[in-house]
Amino acid sequence: MQDGKTPISRRRFLQTSMAAAAVGAGLQSPLVKGLVPRVQAAGSRPDQGEITSHFTACDMCFNRCGMIARKQNGVIKKLDPNPKCLKSRGMICARGNAAVKHIYNPDRLKYPLMRKGKRGEGNWERVSWEEALDYTAEQLMDIAEKHTRCGVMFTPGVDSQARFVQQFADVFGSYNITNHESLCLLSRNRAYLDTFGEVPYPDVLHSRYIIIAGANPLEAFITPDTTDLIEAKKNGCRIVVLDPRFTRTAALAHEWHQIRPGTDMAFFLALCHVIVKGERFCCPDKTFGYDKFVEHVAKYTPEWAEKECGIPARDISRIAHEITEAAPRAMVYPGRRTSDYEDSTQIRRAMAITNVLLDNWDRPGGLLASREVGVRSPFYHIPWYDDNPFDRVEAGKASGLFDDIGSFQLMREAVISGEPYPIRGWFSFKTNFMQTAPDRQKTIRMLDNIDFFVNIDIFMSDTAWFADVVLPGNSFLERKDPVHPLQGSSACACAFIRDPVVEDMFESRPPFWILQELSKRMGFGESFDFTIEEYRKKQVEGLDGALEIMHRDGIYFNPSKVYGIYAGSPLKTLSGVKEIYNQRYERSGDDPMPVYRRPSNPPEGQFRLVVGRTAFFTQSRTNNELLTEFMEENTLHMHPESAERLGLKNNDLVEVASRAGKDRLRLEIDEGIEKRTVYMATGFGSLSPQMSLVYKKGASIAEILEDTHDEITGNAAMHETLVSVRKVS
Amino acid sequence: MKKKYAMVVDSSVCIDCKACMVSCKVQHSLPRGHWRNWIKEMRPDFSLGKYTYGHFQPGNCMHCENPTCVHACPSGATYKDEETGIVQINEDFCIGCGNCIVACPYFARYRHPVRRVPDKCDYCQDRLAMGLQPACVDTCPTKARVFGDLNDPESEAAFLLRTRDTVKITTSPEDTKPNMYYLASTEPMDWPGEVKYPAAHSTMTGLVNPLFKIAVGLSGLAVAAMLIRQIFSGSESSEQEEKKEEA
Repeated sequence: MQDGKTPISRRRFLQTSMAAAAVGAGLQSPLVKGLVPRVQAAGSRPDQGEITSHFTACDMCFNRCGMIARKQNGVIKKLDPNPKCLKSRGMICARGNAAVKHIYNPDRLKYPLMRKGKRGEGNWERVSWEEALDYTAEQLMDIAEKHTRCGVMFTPGVDSQARFVQQFADVFGSYNITNHESLCLLSRNRAYLDTFGEVPYPDVLHSRYIIIAGANPLEAFITPDTTDLIEAKKNGCRIVVLDPRFTRTAALAHEWHQIRPGTDMAFFLALCHVIVKGERFCCPDKTFGYDKFVEHVAKYTPEWAEKECGIPARDISRIAHEITEAAPRAMVYPGRRTSDYEDSTQIRRAMAITNVLLDNWDRPGGLLASREVGVRSPFYHIPWYDDNPFDRVEAGKASGLFDDIGSFQLMREAVISGEPYPIRGWFSFKTNFMQTAPDRQKTIRMLDNIDFFVNIDIFMSDTAWFADVVLPGNSFLERKDPVHPLQGSSACACAFIRDPVVEDMFESRPPFWILQELSKRMGFGESFDFTIEEYRKKQVEGLDGALEIMHRDGIYFNPSKVYGIYAGSPLKTLSGVKEIYNQRYERSGDDPMPVYRRPSNPPEGQFRLVVGRTAFFTQSRTNNELLTEFMEENTLHMHPESAERLGLKNNDLVEVASRAGKDRLRLEIDEGIEKRTVYMATGFGSLSPQMSLVYKKGASIAEILEDTHDEITGNAAMHETLVSVRKVS
Repeated sequence: MKKKYAMVVDSSVCIDCKACMVSCKVQHSLPRGHWRNWIKEMRPDFSLGKYTYGHFQPGNCMHCENPTCVHACPSGATYKDEETGIVQINEDFCIGCGNCIVACPYFARYRHPVRRVPDKCDYCQDRLAMGLQPACVDTCPTKARVFGDLNDPESEAAFLLRTRDTVKITTSPEDTKPNMYYLASTEPMDWPGEVKYPAAHSTMTGLVNPLFKIAVGLSGLAVAAMLIRQIFSGSESSEQEEKKEEA
């Protein structure tokens, strides 16, 4: 078939000849129909072998939608939604459907590999598991001895077995653990924790008015929010979207305001200005600092906001009145990836405070507290190491740093500087900072200070490409996983397990097995001396029959309380009530109430770069032929007027340059983008040739984004980079 | 009782996520570059300012009441199953002439680059036999696609059709009478092409008694020509068809 002509097989030739003969014999349409047995009517020859169905849960992103794998002759043929999974509302998105090409992907890592040449050179040697594990254990212990146990940083990715990597790091003795979250949602988490005392789940389904800003839930799926948003709309919920881009979410909203990027806070402060002027807000006594806030927002008038964000004052006032009318079944959608600006936490605080004024906390159609799922985290002993430093390496570098997650960028800074103490080892499981963290060149520079780097993944990600030892993990469809608890808004509090649908392919192994083997070699084998079955039993202690239900339905639901969980008891904030005025911020020198700062305007000829993704890509993990078919490379979206000024045409190859780096991709003229903003999707411009479908295709956001972060949390600030764009031939 | 399978689509809730397209592609192991279903998109009118909206329209073979592809088929390989209403392809009887591909104004058929026979949606009859919904319907996140038997008044499809206003994407001058209904309204509407019958075929069907069709079938010359065409039509000719479909 290489020459473009399909050779005709003998069998096919005979069939064709027979068909021709049949026609030749005068068997025309009506007659033929009668002669063809019904079962063969479509001419298809079904594969032999019984099709069996197996419950599992998707792992193509973090949502974990319930799935049924259809297997035939030992091969997974199809993945269907599990209709009993309320969290995913009985659906599987494009990525979930494409998971067959995730497991059956020629790019999968097949054997343990050890680096022979320089890092990033791609000179690998296949080694045995024995050799890879011995070497890894020896190197990690060597670093522990020379630089203390905190001299190894751990980056567990999003995975049902990431908990074991966390446990491994804890028992090994390092608290330098971080994950992708500091590239994603920490600023949102911080803002809501510091307002309501916990990170809420929006009850989209029962809401009557939703403002979505800095989020794109119809493309960046969150279950059940994505499907519920559509259902809510059908039930009459009004949807208002603020976005510099005409996203799919904007396309299906009732109104879309093309907000100037980085000015969302101005909109929400003005919204609050209007809301507090009205008489509808019932319960200032259940908040801390309401009066101060009324004073604070006095100057943030809709007229002022119009000048900042570009949304007409009368629209701001109207939306304020409409949403208060709909309250408490109304909300500002909290969003997820809020790694956008240096004051992201404060921007999200402005949204959280708007939610306070809508009085929607713990109520239908508003923001929900965590429900009880009932799955336990089995206890494990964390040893004490006397020589360990006092705190994690980037402690104190941001006022609202999360103790348990930290910040990748601040940690990277510490590794480069060697201060306050050296980190010389890196243990990565399923994270890909080389493709997702701003300033890739800096991440590469960080490796100069890393003596040993081991990476567990199922693909040779860009990050794995720079590792010293690469260990092939198995895919979620080959796994036996611990019980995984989930909350799906008001839809459910649930838990699922995965059992292997097919056996481990090649020499890939479960992460749990890898950790068991390493722990044996490193002297704490007893900490991992249990089976997944034993672990699961401990997890569901007290949940009668939960495991049986998971086996039977693929998912277990806990019929726990949904609304009114607090029922008058104090919130987990310092004041015990909703904190409009945050006392902790006052102490740490942060603004106790959000103060608007105007984002820098791109100078003439420059643009603000914003990033995002489509519904069929998950950041850097989508090296999948079923999905790249929709988008073989990413493009730079630019408004036609801006393109015209630069003399650029659709499909021109352009170079996008920032102070951090530059990369090339094609231009896409997009009438729906703000004129001084350009956009590109994540997941392209890969450095690893073994991410063959995205290798050198399009541009990588990591290469271009500058190393900026949210001041409070250290969360990445991915929309602060200004770029210049020029045509290259 | 005979079934009349149809699809009732609420395109206003389609979010263009491509789940239906991948689900179908996996279910039927479709080759890269070819699809049995699609999502069409209207061009947003940005002069509407804050009220600018988008609309996405899922589709696939409409299993027409007046299936022009069936009329165009000289060998009887393509036929409308009277028991189900599904427009089927019996690959064993297909001579690969490609007439059905151009006769479909919805571009619902493509020539399979390896098997070199036309391929299109069959409502996932293998899944129906297993008691499952078609792959695209089953997976749809917003349940924009509803599939069912219009002859069964209890079916959701029949209920929707009975209780809601629907539109069809029709063609002219020849009305295909599609069995694909869109709730309320849908965009775009102007994308179907012309129904094209090969010249020889239309002369024949237009002028002469259907008996002559048999004569045509008998004509060894024609069969040989078709056969040769199939044997030697490689990917080149399927590329041409693709272009036509895009146009």
